[in-house]
Amino acid sequence: MDYETLKLIWWALIGVLLIGFALTDGFDMGVGMLLRVIGKTDMDRRIMINTVGPHWEGNQVWFVTAGGAIFAAWPMVYAAAFSGLYAALMITLCALFFRPVGFDYRSKIDDPRWRNLWDWGLTIGGVVPPLIFGVAFGNLMLGLPFELDDLLRPSYHGSFWMLLHPFALICGLLSVAMLAMHGGAWLQLKTRGLLHARAQQATQLSALAVIGLFVLAGIWLLVGIDGMHIVDIKPLGDKLNPLAKTVAYGNDGWQANYSAHPLLWVIPLLGILMAAATWLFARAESALVFLTSSLTVTSVILTAGIALFPFVMPSSRDPNMSLTLWDATSSELTLGLMFAAAVIFVPIILLYTLWCYRKMYGRVTREYIEENSHSSY
Amino acid sequence: MIDETVVDLSRLQFALTALYHFLFVPLTLGLSFILAIMESCYVLTGKAIYKDMTKFWGKLFGINFALGVTTGLTMEFQFGTNWSYYSHYVGDIFGVPLAIEGLMAFFLESTFIGLFFFGWDRLTKVQHLTCTWLVAIGSNLSALWILIANGWMQYPIGAEFNFETMRMELASFSDVLFNPVAQVKFVHTVAAGYVTGAMFVLSVSSYYLLRKRDIPFARRSFAIASSFGLASILSVIVLGDESGYTVGDIQKVKLAAIEAEWETQEPPASFTLIAFPNQEEKKNDFQIQIPWALGLIATRSLDEKVTGFDQIIPENEQRIRRGIQAYELLQKLRSGDTSQETRNAFADLQYDLGYGLLLKRYTENITDATEEQIKQAAEHSIPRVAPLFWTFRVMVGAGFIMLFVFIAAFIQSARHRSAGNRAVLYACLWSLPLPWIAAECGWIVAEYGRQPWSIAEVLPTYMSASSITRGEVLGSLTAIIAFYTALAVAEVYLMLRFTRLGPSSLGTGKYHFELPANKPQAQA
Amino acid sequence: MWYFTWILGVLLACLFGVVNALWLEVTENMDRNETEFEE
Ligand code: HDD
Ligand code: HEM
Ligand code: HEM
Repeated sequence: MDYETLKLIWWALIGVLLIGFALTDGFDMGVGMLLRVIGKTDMDRRIMINTVGPHWEGNQVWFVTAGGAIFAAWPMVYAAAFSGLYAALMITLCALFFRPVGFDYRSKIDDPRWRNLWDWGLTIGGVVPPLIFGVAFGNLMLGLPFELDDLLRPSYHGSFWMLLHPFALICGLLSVAMLAMHGGAWLQLKTRGLLHARAQQATQLSALAVIGLFVLAGIWLLVGIDGMHIVDIKPLGDKLNPLAKTVAYGNDGWQANYSAHPLLWVIPLLGILMAAATWLFARAESALVFLTSSLTVTSVILTAGIALFPFVMPSSRDPNMSLTLWDATSSELTLGLMFAAAVIFVPIILLYTLWCYRKMYGRVTREYIEENSHSSY
Repeated sequence: MIDETVVDLSRLQFALTALYHFLFVPLTLGLSFILAIMESCYVLTGKAIYKDMTKFWGKLFGINFALGVTTGLTMEFQFGTNWSYYSHYVGDIFGVPLAIEGLMAFFLESTFIGLFFFGWDRLTKVQHLTCTWLVAIGSNLSALWILIANGWMQYPIGAEFNFETMRMELASFSDVLFNPVAQVKFVHTVAAGYVTGAMFVLSVSSYYLLRKRDIPFARRSFAIASSFGLASILSVIVLGDESGYTVGDIQKVKLAAIEAEWETQEPPASFTLIAFPNQEEKKNDFQIQIPWALGLIATRSLDEKVTGFDQIIPENEQRIRRGIQAYELLQKLRSGDTSQETRNAFADLQYDLGYGLLLKRYTENITDATEEQIKQAAEHSIPRVAPLFWTFRVMVGAGFIMLFVFIAAFIQSARHRSAGNRAVLYACLWSLPLPWIAAECGWIVAEYGRQPWSIAEVLPTYMSASSITRGEVLGSLTAIIAFYTALAVAEVYLMLRFTRLGPSSLGTGKYHFELPANKPQAQA
Repeated sequence: MWYFTWILGVLLACLFGVVNALWLEVTENMDRNETEFEE
């Protein structure tokens, strides 16, 4: 396989990991968001937490592995993005700190204050990371003010507050709404009774919000935001570094890829349709609701990824220094090796993860919690 | 220009978060195997008490594990946030083990831990036992990959500098995988984890025995911990010696620091038992030495010499001078002169490029460095000696104390008198902190002893840091300290509460606080 | 090959733990409720 193909494959693989993260960790974050909203009593909340109890840990590894894979496949992106968005990433990490301890420690002590504290923790751990990831994606569309010096040391020339551009905030809200919907869909599969009914409502509401925000963000993008395109770059299969290309604005609303391949418009369209279907299936109490909400999440992420392609981190300070999948990537040997590792391990992971979900199949009920109150969360 | 304060604060943050992460890691590594042993006994004998043991120690395992995961998250992203030039410069190699760790180890460990806690009623006995073993194997594989990464920082083989992309690139994965430093580091570190797990169970069981509570439960836990622990501490010590040997071979600077060897001795070198190293005057203010011992430990011979700083510093100065030439050639290459001649000249000197980069700390323009600055860089090319000297001795001392404790405990239990001697039980109880102290000291030896490099002889720590502001690092450092302190309080509180409660916390109705005689004192 | 040593070593250590427990199960009454020392 040649270097150029490998570079492309790694764009797809990072996409797979990010989507895997959104689909799996997404629903337990969604449950975290809804915890205080639809979980009225301690028992409600325990039921909600125990639906994700056996899974959140494995789910979170999608996030960790996506981080590791970006380090290995796009070291420059790992370096520039996380040091540039320093404060945002630290806030995300602090929010994530609440989750492992929140899940594990909450029910170990039977004191309302203690439990309430961790419920807030789980809420923060559910809302803040998706919000920040959404805002970050929005800022990628706007371009980030970073540059590289002649030793390729990245430096960032913006502040945390500059990230809070209204367009980026809409993207953040979209991300939150999407995962709330996904969490609600999960709860419909795993609970009964009143809790089930409230989850149904939450899913429907957030599905509507997803449609609204997605359309709004799309229109804003097309009307108000200028994307970039590569004017000139050396052969894509060469060893490239991000200083040796020319990039220009003039890709209105990042739609060049869609115009070039009109069939791609199916993907954003699918995003809207699937969100509508989620609304419908939630109403109809169909188990398909989880499938359609998963497809919504996938389509929305793909929509953004395709728009940016081949950019990964556009630079607004000096567009020529933007990081793309062609020139911010690892050596051929590393990409090939990592590809082999992914081909071997990803199917194995999917296999045992599915086995785990199958073994834990079924709804979590009040009776179950009461019988196992010493061993469940 | 890089802000030195940012570098120092980032180092502090890394050291704190790593040392903190490693409070939870070793217990995970060791306790997971002990759980697997206990559950194997359950499956083999069918006795319910072994199941209760697995569940109870599993509860403590879970409380610890939660913080292991929490603190690991920071570690995973910290290279990008605080060490961005490092991430760019070596990501091509260093990222690989990190990514494989996720794919091969974290997924395994974290998926099956869900089944470990929630699968008791849904899996057959053998299926559940398999999950427990997979958790143990997963956590140990994660140690494997991260230590391969860490071993590479100590001894960066299998990589070449590429001037087109301005970074190190992978040349041979098998060299990275079978790196001798990584190998001994891995076995020494996981064995240290097993010791930690065993000491934890041994200590807590001794507490129950001393309190005459849940004796059948404690006696069995004591027996398993003492046998597994004895095997482990023996490995740690043997492999620690192997570590020392490998260090002596590859990292002469670190060995010299551990031994406070200011001057090269005629072979066979003597071992310095105690000394007060004086960095300024490059001598020890006071020392007690054992003739011949160091030569034997470090070189396994009586006629090879152990290099002291009096030779190391001048050698480094030479390499800094060659590094300046290497840097000049690199600039030529990057400005477009890629003739074969320049390439060859650079190839000859590229292994000294890192030494040239040491000068960045003293001057913006390496090629104009003054004599003064070169001398200064050479002086600072070695770590501070006293902290290394002492932390190393604390680790070794703790190791030998634990050896005696495990021997005594094992003999007691093998003589069918687990609770035969109260002195031994107290020794077990009070030895609880030793494995943690030893392990933290071990990391300080390994990491601080690598200074001023982040990648030995390739990339100075000073160059590795991100271009971020002091305010940002101070902010994150404060937030992390505040969070970690609060979490530590919660974790210690829960640990204490559940160890006090003991197996009664399982709610089976069979244990101490649940028996009618003890009911009045019962807690929730 | 230290990796190989590790695989063997950890298996042996675990086996040692299991066998020791099983051996004590057979040779000693592990369920007795008293300790050997006096207050
Ligand atoms: C010798 C062992 C060892 C060492 C040196 C490290 N770790 Fe660690 N790590 C583990 C052994 C471990 C473990 C035993 O596998 C943990 C501890 C508790 C746990 O959940 O898994 C873990 C957890 C853990 C997690 C959470 C995994 C999850 O979500 O399940 C992450 C992201 C990291 N680590 C990352 C790191 C990084 C980036 C390190 C170095 C800079 C590092 N660890 C040093
Ligand atoms: C969990 C176990 C570890 C502990 C306790 C530990 C300890 C330390 C300490 C004490 C320092 C500070 C040294 C100084 O700045 O003076 C340090 C620095 C550092 N360590 Fe480790 N370390 C651990 C694991 C690792 C691993 C596995 C890696 C790499 C994968 C690593 C990479 C680094 C880096 C990049 C720095 C900062 C740069 C430097 O100061 O050298 N550490 N670590
Ligand atoms: C008793 C004899 C011991 C000896 C001779 C010994 C030797 C060593 C040496 C030479 C290093 C440095 C390796 C390096 O710089 O790369 C080291 C590191 C370390 N030691 Fe020990 N050690 C002993 C006991 C222990 C004990 C009892 C523990 C913990 C329970 C422990 C935990 C560690 C850890 C965690 C490290 C850092 C990881 C590494 O570099 O391997 N050691 N040890």
